Amino acid sequence: MYTVATKRLAQEGKNSNECGIYGGQIFDMGFGLIQVWNRVHFSHDPEEIVRKPREEHVMRKSLFASMCAIGLVAGLSTANAETIRIAEHRQARIDALKAVVPDIEKKYGVTIEVVEYPAPEKDYLTKILTELRAGNAPDIFTAPRGQDVADMASAGYFAPITSEVQAWDGYGQLFDVAKQLVTGKDGQVFVLPAMLNVQQLYYRRDILEKAGISTDQPKNWQDLLDRAKEIKTKTGAYGLLFPMGVTWGGGAFGEGFEHLVVGTSTPQLANDDGTLNLSSAGVKDALGFYAELIKNDLMPTQPLLGPEPWVVPKYEMFPAGKLAATTCGSWCYIYDWGPKSKNPIPNVTSVVGTWLIPGKDSGAYVLVDVDSAWGVSAHAANVDLAKKVMLELGSIKADIAYSQGLGNIPGRKDAAADPEFQKMTALVPVIAAVAKGKYLKTASGFSAVSEGVARATEALLRKETDAAGAQKILVDYVKETLGDEMVK
Amino acid sequence: MGRNLHEQRVERQLLIVLLPSLALLSAFVIYPALYSVYLSFTNEALVGPGALAPRLVGLRNYARLFNDTKFWNSLLVTFVFVLGSAVIGQFVLGLVCAMALRRPIRLRRIFSSIILLPNAAPEVVAGFMWISMLSGGEHATLSRIVAAFGVEPADWLNTFPLAMIIVVNTWRGIATAMILLTAGLSTIPSEIYEAARMDGATPQQMFRRITLPLMMPTILLYMLISAVSTIAVFGLVYALTRGGPGGATELVSIYIYNQSFAAYQLGYGAAVAVIVLIIALLLGVGYVKAMKVEI
Repeated sequence: MYTVATKRLAQEGKNSNECGIYGGQIFDMGFGLIQVWNRVHFSHDPEEIVRKPREEHVMRKSLFASMCAIGLVAGLSTANAETIRIAEHRQARIDALKAVVPDIEKKYGVTIEVVEYPAPEKDYLTKILTELRAGNAPDIFTAPRGQDVADMASAGYFAPITSEVQAWDGYGQLFDVAKQLVTGKDGQVFVLPAMLNVQQLYYRRDILEKAGISTDQPKNWQDLLDRAKEIKTKTGAYGLLFPMGVTWGGGAFGEGFEHLVVGTSTPQLANDDGTLNLSSAGVKDALGFYAELIKNDLMPTQPLLGPEPWVVPKYEMFPAGKLAATTCGSWCYIYDWGPKSKNPIPNVTSVVGTWLIPGKDSGAYVLVDVDSAWGVSAHAANVDLAKKVMLELGSIKADIAYSQGLGNIPGRKDAAADPEFQKMTALVPVIAAVAKGKYLKTASGFSAVSEGVARATEALLRKETDAAGAQKILVDYVKETLGDEMVK
Repeated sequence: MGRNLHEQRVERQLLIVLLPSLALLSAFVIYPALYSVYLSFTNEALVGPGALAPRLVGLRNYARLFNDTKFWNSLLVTFVFVLGSAVIGQFVLGLVCAMALRRPIRLRRIFSSIILLPNAAPEVVAGFMWISMLSGGEHATLSRIVAAFGVEPADWLNTFPLAMIIVVNTWRGIATAMILLTAGLSTIPSEIYEAARMDGATPQQMFRRITLPLMMPTILLYMLISAVSTIAVFGLVYALTRGGPGGATELVSIYIYNQSFAAYQLGYGAAVAVIVLIIALLLGVGYVKAMKVEI
């Protein structure tokens, strides 16, 4: 009887070798071995008892052969397909990633596992940071905003990719601003700027024209405030939205505060000596602009104190014309108000116009930042292979897939010039603005600055303080978190 | 001598029986609690140098905590929340339900099931369900109900945030209160009520002079369990408000989460957690002393 079982085992072992090993087959083999063991050891048949020593010998050989087969197959299956795990979040991003995964698998003979994370950026960041701290994060992951990169790098989460990126054939095609955004003071590079986000002001051209309000580019902050007041007076709609408050997460800093600070007399927060310049006139001016918006009831404040502060103003009030202008990025034409969005604005590119962000006293610019820049975990199982795979995520095909899904701008010029990208007429005009975009140089400690700005602007939203008080909240928070010596 | 040997053997057997529980408690309660105490004396963080090379900072986190108005606000919010939902809401309604359902009323089992239903829904699911009930706009469920009485629709979670989370947590906890208090009620011999009735006691007198005094141990036990578990409520309120608007519903549990996983300051978050642990312990000791029992 056991011969049959052994044959069955041998056959299954052979199948395993041919087809790769599967859980079900292992289970069957284990079950077969148990059957053989039971028959040999618990038999009461005298003939079998006589045969037992010989059978035990044969059985041991069978067991040994089977275990060898299992080990061999398991070893082969590991060697054949090395797995690279990539973290990604939000369905549109996951879909874009999956569009390029087969090509990468084919090119490097790897298996790529896409590990899906919670959609909200803050939740994604929290989860990936926790895993990075625990040392079990996927091999490749993104830092959502430029402000996150320095802090993640100083925590030792990223493997440096300086030489690999500079030797990469796409490096020469990167926009200069993309290179500058990811190159640290010491010349080190930790992330690939595959995509850029370009932010400016978006306004409801139809509403302003109907009310007889100028749609010309505002010349400075005062002009912008006057325009917002005129909108409120003539249309009843809120005139301008800047993201603020704690529940907006990094958006209070990256989708609002940054825009204003870079247009002031003190346009940078990071000093050359590694300290943070938060007591500057520029910071106070930016917070003062917010205070004016709130004092004059020019922006909706109550929704910004809720759990998902972007939902009401951006996805409901703006499409409904109850909010006439807001900060936003190129993605808004596609993701927020495009035909496939939840609340589409018909003819969005003609109905919604854009203004550059005016400087405090003069000048106008777009704000450029890396968008979910890719990095390799310092604890990746195979760092070199992970770096190769990561560079493929900066390919033209990947850039276009992400642009189509999310409405962001490729980090490389040849992708922006590609016919497929040129079909996205809402995004093409933004490319011209990239070269003259401004950006905030980041430094270690920006996570604390971002949280401090969120707290300071929340105090403004709740009308608990003025600009000077808000600046004090920011400075105190960063000092408490990073130490007094870090703030100037 | 023989008895001693027997006792020793019983002790060994008890130890063996208790070992798995001890191991689990050590691994998942005692060790994390002690590690939190250690973390609270460091600048450990999820980002920056505090993640790469955390160092001891002495009492800095505690000094910062005592000057942190948001921390004190979270303690105040938690106190009101526990008082409103656990001590008053759940207890009063739980007691009413327990007493009502002891009577031979029709459809008693159906009523019991309805009261137990809130516990069947996972807290995040319950939270989202309540969001749809309490959201702003004239189409939200509560707004439509109050509109029938001529009341203007409101954004309930933004206008009355703390009151709303108290209502939601009361709704969720009535069943637990009812079960515990029903157990307490069932220990009171019916002969005492019969004797009181024969002496001409009114229902109010029986409640004040018989039910409440004899229920006191159960009530105190319920208060202990309910207060400590309500201090730890997180998922339900986080799903509803995330601590907003403007910190109005930022319970201390949410404050710990925000400090640890939104501001990435694990050391500071641990310091807050240690303070909450001490408060919960003091509360427990207070209740135990009030119950006059030995543990």
